[in-house]
Formats: sequence, C-alpha cells, structure tokens
Amino acid sequence: MQSLHVLVADDEPVSRTVVGAILKKAGFIVSYAPDGEQAWQRLDGPTAPELALLDWEMPGLQGPEVVERMRSKETQTPTYVILLTSRDSSADIVRGLRAGADDYVCKPANEEELIARVNVGARVVQLQAALADRVRSLEEALANVRALQTLLPMCAYCKSIRNDQNYWEKVETYFTQHSGVSFTHSYCPNCYDRFVRPELEALEDAQKSQERLKRK
Amino acid sequence: MTTDRALDPKVIDRLRQLTMPGEPEVLAEVLQLFLDEVPKRLRALQTALAAGDAAQAARLAHSLKGSSGNLGADSMTDVCGRIDELAKNGDLGRCAPLVASLTDEYHRVELEIKQLLQTS
Repeated sequence: MQSLHVLVADDEPVSRTVVGAILKKAGFIVSYAPDGEQAWQRLDGPTAPELALLDWEMPGLQGPEVVERMRSKETQTPTYVILLTSRDSSADIVRGLRAGADDYVCKPANEEELIARVNVGARVVQLQAALADRVRSLEEALANVRALQTLLPMCAYCKSIRNDQNYWEKVETYFTQHSGVSFTHSYCPNCYDRFVRPELEALEDAQKSQERLKRK
Repeated sequence: MTTDRALDPKVIDRLRQLTMPGEPEVLAEVLQLFLDEVPKRLRALQTALAAGDAAQAARLAHSLKGSSGNLGADSMTDVCGRIDELAKNGDLGRCAPLVASLTDEYHRVELEIKQLLQTS
C-alpha cells in the first residue's frame, strides 16, 4: 500500500509536532501548516494531501472555515478532513461536521485513537480513489457506446461503413475499432443455400468430369 | 491538585517511543519546543490580562493548555483550562491569582524538562 500524505495544521507547535510524530510512526507522510490560511493554500489544488488534520482554533482561518472552503469546490477525490478540537460539546461537534469535516478528534490526541481514526480516513480515501478510477473507465466505455448509437452511413451494396474521418471501412474493421468487438466468419442457412451449396455442387461436378476424362 | 510529578511519566514515555530509527529524538524536540515557546505565551498572557483583552487572554490560555496537555503536564493544563473558561466569560478579575499559580506550575514543569533533557 502506498503511503498517504497527511497535512497537520495547528498554530500550536508542541501539538503539531507530537501529532506529526505519531502519524509518521504510523507510516504516513506528514507535512505541516502553522495556520488556517497556509493550510488552505496547501489543500486548494490538484496536489492536495489525501488527508488533513485541522486544529479547530487557529488565528485567521479556523478549522471549520478551511473545510467549508474545501467543500465548496467540486472534486472526485476530496481530502478526508479530521478536526482536532478541545471542544467536546455536541453543538460544536455538529457544527464541525456540518461544515464538511469527516470526523473529529479531541485534544490532546490519544495516540491509538488518532491512528485508528486516520486509518478510517485512509480506507475512505482509497475507496474513493478506486471508485473514481471505475467511474473514469465506465465513462470511456459509455463514450464508445454512444459512438455506436449514432447514425452510421453504410454502403447499400458492399456494406462498408463511412467512419468519422470520411473513409470507407469494412464493417469488421469499423466495429473492432469502435467497440472492441471481434468477428469470426461463418455463414447463415440462407447464404449456405444461395452461395455455398451451388459452389460445392459445381466443385463436385468438376471433379466427376475430370475422373471421367481420366478413365477414358 | 498537586502531584509529585509535574509531567505524567506515561505521556513522556510515549513521546520517547515516537522516535523513528535514524531520526532526531521526538521527545527532546518537543521538550525544547515547549521551553522555547511557552514562556513567550505566558508573558503575552500577562500582558493581555493587564490590558483587559479577554479574547486574546482566552486564546493564549487555550494554546498553553494545548502545549501542556501534550506533555502530560496535567496541573498546568488544568490551570490553563480554568483561565481559558474565565477569560471567555470576560471574568478577568478571577484570572489574576490563577496566572500566579500557572507561573509556579510552569517553573515545576520547566525544571523537570531540563532534567529530562540532561539525561536523554
């Protein structure tokens, strides 16, 4: 399993260092932000860490405000956010979760609890990434299906199909390219009677007349 | 309220075990940070109280509570929590005697930290 990146944002250097050391020991890659503004700068963008531990009370932007900003932007792989707080009233907890946090941990953090909760976050992040991958490949498949649903110009005589680049292609080539379908060749009963049988009979006749010639 | 130790030995032991092989000692780093940071905030707290700035006093008491909590300095954490509460309610008059005991607590903690830093 690849190591996930956790941002620890806390203006209080002792807590920040202890939390970071706990996470490093648990195998995470850790970076730090000393206030909400800098945390937001790290979290806003395509290279945002997969997980963030945000202190609730920081000068400038507070933890819940950072989460609100993060959640106002749409992304397929949102950062999993845990608020670190010494507030334990349920009104505060509800406020933090409503702002968009995924979880909260009371300070000072208990080592086992912190790791357990961050590991829950890691599971969610990995599920989300797998889901985003799956959605991407389904969208690709859907695009191909749509291409096949459009009106296809086909030659009335030789059954060739005109492709997007205005070239005439054999049906087999066109469908192999656009759908991943491949063909095996056979014949239907009608065509057997109409084409195959006469050819076989003609071959047999030819063989018989050759044999007659030999005997003579 | 007073215990014989200013720092909870279990917490100190946990911090000692956080050091990764080949990396600087976490315990020493955290103790040093505490000594560097906390006196500044203690002075700022006194200034805020003298100026009657309750919001700033609450913020500082809160952050001191965080620092001391991480080292298992339980008595100091308790005092900070009480100052935090009082300041939040604007009751600065009752903070003054608590700040005196906070300073005493800090000195006990400081002494133990210095001993730990010498032996580690």
